[in-house]
Amino acid sequence: MIKSTICERLGIRFPVFQGGMAWIADGKLAAAVSNAGGLGLISAMNAGPDYLREQIAVARSLTDKTFGVNIMLQSPFAGQVADVVAEESVKVVTTGAGMPTDYMERWKAAGVMIIPVVASVAMAKKMEKLGADAVIAEGEESGGHIGELTTMVLVPQVCDAVGIPVIAAGGIADGRGFAAALMLGACGIQMGTRFLVAKECGVHQNYKDMVLKAGDISTVATGRRFAASTCRCLKNVFSREFKQVEFQPETTVETVNELGVGALRKAAVEGDTKAGCFMAGQIAGLVSREQTADEIIQEVVEQAETLLLEACAWVG
Amino acid sequence: MVTEKIKSLLVEKLECDASKITSETVLTDLGIDSLDITELVMDLETEFNVEIELADDIKTVSDLAGAIEVKMKG
Repeated sequence: MIKSTICERLGIRFPVFQGGMAWIADGKLAAAVSNAGGLGLISAMNAGPDYLREQIAVARSLTDKTFGVNIMLQSPFAGQVADVVAEESVKVVTTGAGMPTDYMERWKAAGVMIIPVVASVAMAKKMEKLGADAVIAEGEESGGHIGELTTMVLVPQVCDAVGIPVIAAGGIADGRGFAAALMLGACGIQMGTRFLVAKECGVHQNYKDMVLKAGDISTVATGRRFAASTCRCLKNVFSREFKQVEFQPETTVETVNELGVGALRKAAVEGDTKAGCFMAGQIAGLVSREQTADEIIQEVVEQAETLLLEACAWVG
Repeated sequence: MVTEKIKSLLVEKLECDASKITSETVLTDLGIDSLDITELVMDLETEFNVEIELADDIKTVSDLAGAIEVKMKG
């Protein structure tokens, strides 16, 4: 049984979060993960407050366990969905693609636990200063919006820099990654890609199939030229065309953002393997089976427990 | 035969039209990176039971096919 401070703080059984993934992490998936003992997260993505309220209602109809909402801070609706989180008394909010400075006060007033995703030590320190309850240190192995540092180097440095709990994310899909994250100083993990292929995840089957057949080198980081737009996705026609355009001298951040518009939806909803942007982490190569959220969590936790119990064999 | 195999592996990887890949196609022009090329070479080595070295002078599909054919005769 893995004991972690974050479990008591959040009222969850296992210190395993399911990442907020746009078009993928809806109320149904979040509820399944929470029912399985982890922390399910609903992605508010680029959608408005009504969508989020709907998904919160779906989750509440399926689970009475703790779940949270992930806000993609570059969304034009970020402010509005931040309000929904407070109004709906959502227990936990996580944030990505930026820093939630403007929303901290209203969430704190509403008693929401705030756990921002951070990609650097400076971000982590700032978030602690502003009153975050914990941080998710996410390495660039992760799918979707990413920073520059790997999980391996980011997690221990963030753990050294802050006193609040640190959840490790990026490149974790099994018990080995989980155990390793704990050794790096984290008190829990977040997984995205592994939950993408959960049976309760309603993403298009083509998306799941692409993840299931991915190998170690199947992802690429697009948008490195314009740091804030860097995203990791599976290599395909879209990503290759994107990369060719990206580094042409006349390309601007606007062109690049234009190229991306609707591409994730094409992947997740339409299953367009050529024109869609299939965001996924580098660990996709390790994800090879569609399972229920419960099976996923049980497997990852059991493997981590075994490894941790056997780990003292390394020391003579 | 080797050239055809290279073409079909590339078409599969890139999900593109077979007509886009000819013997003269420069590998790096296809938008694949060095890791992709390493993986491609490994697949070819397994398929044809040879070992080749990716030298700097292997630039096109026909260069790659040639490098494999030489080893097959060897």
